[in-house]
Amino acid sequence: MRAVSRKTTYILALSGAAVIAAALIGASVLLAGGSSKSAAAETGTTIQGAAAVNDLLAGIPQEGTMLGRRNAPVTLVEYADLQCPYCAHVAVGEFPGIVRDYVRTGKVRVVFNGLSFVGPDSVTALETALSAGAQKRLWHVVQLLYANQGTENTGWVSEELLRGVGGAVPGLDVASMLTGRSAGSISSARQEAQQSANTAGVTGTPSFAVGRTHGVLTLVSGNDAQTVRSALDAALRG
Amino acid sequence: MRLRTAIGALALVGAGIASYLVVVKLSGASAVCPTGGCATVERSKYAELAGIPVALLGLVAYAAMFVTAMRRDEHAAIAGAAIALAGLLYGGYLLVVQLAVIDAVCAWCVASDVVLALLAALAVARLQRTSPD
Repeated sequence: MRAVSRKTTYILALSGAAVIAAALIGASVLLAGGSSKSAAAETGTTIQGAAAVNDLLAGIPQEGTMLGRRNAPVTLVEYADLQCPYCAHVAVGEFPGIVRDYVRTGKVRVVFNGLSFVGPDSVTALETALSAGAQKRLWHVVQLLYANQGTENTGWVSEELLRGVGGAVPGLDVASMLTGRSAGSISSARQEAQQSANTAGVTGTPSFAVGRTHGVLTLVSGNDAQTVRSALDAALRG
Repeated sequence: MRLRTAIGALALVGAGIASYLVVVKLSGASAVCPTGGCATVERSKYAELAGIPVALLGLVAYAAMFVTAMRRDEHAAIAGAAIALAGLLYGGYLLVVQLAVIDAVCAWCVASDVVLALLAALAVARLQRTSPD
C-alpha cells in the first residue's frame, strides 16, 4: 500500500476529528440544549420570577433540602407549606435578603423542612421539590413555586405548572424530577419532615429554628425577617 | 511499538471508566462520586444523545482506539488520531456544559477527559512517527 504523506495524514486525521466532534456536539446542542430552552414554552405556562430566582441561587451549593455551605457555622431551618400564602410572602419578599447577607457569605446554611398539611396541592408541590433535591435544585423549585403560587387546593400545582417551573431551572432534568416523585424515599422524607416539625413544636407556617450547626436549634418566636435576622446574628455571635 | 502499547493501555483505562458509567446509567444506581455532582450530570439531558448514553459512546470510542493501537498501519494511526481528537473536543464541550449549564461536575467524566487528552497527544505523536516526510 502506498505511503501517505505526512501532510495528508494530518489533514485526514484533523478532518475526521472535526467531522465526528461537530456531529456529536451539534447533536447534543440540538437534542439537549434545544429542548431545555423550549421546556417552559412547550407548556404554555408563564413562570414568574425565574431570572430573579436563578440569579439569587446561582453558585450557592445545594444538597437535598440544604442550601449553603455544608460547614456554615449556623443552621436555619424553615418549616413551611408551599401552599401557605404567608410563606410565599416571606420567600419572595424577605428570603432573598437573608440569602444574600447570610447564606451566600457562608455564615448560614438553610434547611427546607417542607410540610403538606394545607391539602393535596401541598403534597404534589412538596414531593416535586423533594425530587428536585436529588438533582440539587430543591431551592430553585421551592422559590419558583412560591413565586407562582395559586389559590389553595384549586389544583394550581398542575403538571403543566411543574413542567414550566422545571424547565425554568438551569440543568434540571424535568422528566427525572417528575418520575422521581414516586420513589419511596420521597414519601418517607415527607413523613420525616412532619415528625421533625412535631418534635420541634411547630404550630404554624412559616416557622424558623436557628442554632449553631450540629448544636441545638431553637424555634424563633416570630417569622418576620427582622426577628429571623436577629436570631441569626445572636447564633453567629455564638 | 511503545507508543502503540501506551495508547492501548490508556484506551483500556478509558474503557474501564466508561464501562463503570454505562453500568451506573443502565442500572439506575448512583456513581461513587468524590465531587458530589455525578448523579446530577448523569441524570441531565446531556448524558444521552438520541437516547444513547454518552458513556456508551465513550466505551465504543475507547474500544476503537484499542483496535487502532493493535494495528501497525498508518490508516490505523490516522483513525486513532481522529477518534482521540474528536473525543477530546466532545469531552471539552461536555466539561463546559457541566460547569456552565448543569452547575455540577462529574469526577469520572473529568478523569475520562484526562485520559482522552493523553490519548490525543500520543495518537498525534504516533501519526508523526508513522507518516513519511
